Amino acid sequence: MNAEHRAGPLFWASAAAGWLVIAWGLRGVFQHSLDTRPANLARFVVGGALLHDLIVAPLVIVAGVLIARAVPGRARAVVQGALAVSGIVALFSYPLVRAYGLAANNPTSLPHNYTANLLIVLGVVWAVAAGLVIVRLRTPA
Amino acid sequence: MSIKLPAPVQRFTTDLDEPLQQGVYRSALRDERLAAILGASLGILFSICFVTGLYSHLQQNPVSWFPIQPRPAGFYRLSQGLHVVAGIASMPVLIAKLWLVWPRFAAFPVAKRFSNIVERIGLFPLVAGGIFMTFSGVANIAQWYPWKFSFTASHYWMAWVTMGSIVAHVGAKWVIARRALARPSRRPALADADPELGTTAETASDTGLSRRGLLATVAAASGVLTLTTIGQTIRPLRKLGFLAPRDPTVGPQGYPVNRGAANAGVVDLANSPLYRLEISGRVARPMSLTLDQLRALPAHDTVLPIACVEGWSYSAPWSGVRVRDLLAMAGAEPNRTILLESLEPQGAYRTSTLNSEQAADRDTLLATQLDGEPLALDHGFPCRLIAPNRPGVLQTKWVTKLVVL
Repeated sequence: MNAEHRAGPLFWASAAAGWLVIAWGLRGVFQHSLDTRPANLARFVVGGALLHDLIVAPLVIVAGVLIARAVPGRARAVVQGALAVSGIVALFSYPLVRAYGLAANNPTSLPHNYTANLLIVLGVVWAVAAGLVIVRLRTPA
Repeated sequence: MSIKLPAPVQRFTTDLDEPLQQGVYRSALRDERLAAILGASLGILFSICFVTGLYSHLQQNPVSWFPIQPRPAGFYRLSQGLHVVAGIASMPVLIAKLWLVWPRFAAFPVAKRFSNIVERIGLFPLVAGGIFMTFSGVANIAQWYPWKFSFTASHYWMAWVTMGSIVAHVGAKWVIARRALARPSRRPALADADPELGTTAETASDTGLSRRGLLATVAAASGVLTLTTIGQTIRPLRKLGFLAPRDPTVGPQGYPVNRGAANAGVVDLANSPLYRLEISGRVARPMSLTLDQLRALPAHDTVLPIACVEGWSYSAPWSGVRVRDLLAMAGAEPNRTILLESLEPQGAYRTSTLNSEQAADRDTLLATQLDGEPLALDHGFPCRLIAPNRPGVLQTKWVTKLVVL
């Protein structure tokens, strides 16, 4: 058991090389602190990870359990997949829907109605999902 | 380790030496092989982003040991397009990977041996970096800046931090990942262990997403995001660009811009009859040309792309004077770097440089016409630089000075 878990030379060599590169990156952050604003940057870098690990991930796990209970067996996989795709697409679209880019006075920025477009894309996703569910329900077990 | 935990805590925490699927995390999707597949995919996508990102950095921050060549003319358009496409496509893969390995976050004891400690400390910059690179990239292309730092500087230096973490992580997971990937995908052992799942967890199951289903879901999400955004750089697909932050056909003269004339504070200066194009520096005959004099010079036509760092691009026919002809007229010293200055009073991109190869290229122009019409104010009237293999921010607009350094 111990031999299986012992870290070999590849582990230590990669750790050394990797941490050298990490150090190079951090050096750059602090050397260019006028631009990188380390305190503000740290808020976003650390905040993003904490937000995911402590809030988003547990919520997703709980949501998965609830969906598994609410949706009948044959449709469950398709619903889970469609919900995952929907959530990810909506997350990506958030700044577009909120139209933050319009404040930049750029005449060509964000030319579409992104709320409408997001609904269209999600509509296509769920139409495909509905088709897959129908196919599944028709296929004998 | 013989720490006795209360039963509820024991159920929600995991043992580092045990497989991902343990305790209350019973989903068959928590599987080392899936983790390895997602991890390898993420590694490939992030590596594409890193290499293309480095190239973009070297274009904008030229170094003497890597002079940017002007050919192929569409190279930056390809590399930056790839950068943004790969970055966007990596978002679902990252989300799935984080979900899958999350039980390791809830590990207790936190480490069982020294290598655990080293490896797990490395997970901080890995997870934080990966999330930051994706979030900042997506926010930037949507022109959302909820932070105080410079996007360019932070995105660049955090890329090194993230890449270093990936190197350390690959080394830490190499053995287990290779073993998991070498395994045949059909695993009768899993069915024996959990009869509820039916024949195998690979095929369509009645109890939820199978392992193949998870990969299909991730691929579908990446596919949807790619298809709905790539139209901003691949023109034939632009009608599919429902979620693209830019349309390559929308804008003055039918082409998009990033910084308009009003925003840049150049409207009066550009329209003024006092406008001059000055050629100075290491030249035998310093010159000062009016717009009419510039237009009277022999013009050259070319079709070149404007490729933005944000991943959108368009190709258009330009007409104007060759930079090398202007330099010859002024008797410029050969093989020098050329500095271009804009009418813009301030801004990070009011100047750019051309190395000697770029300045000598037959298609490096000071364009006065776009699509057969005089350049619109937003596109850089009276003249703008257009050169092959060059990021949009360096195709300086409202050019007023050429200085031979």
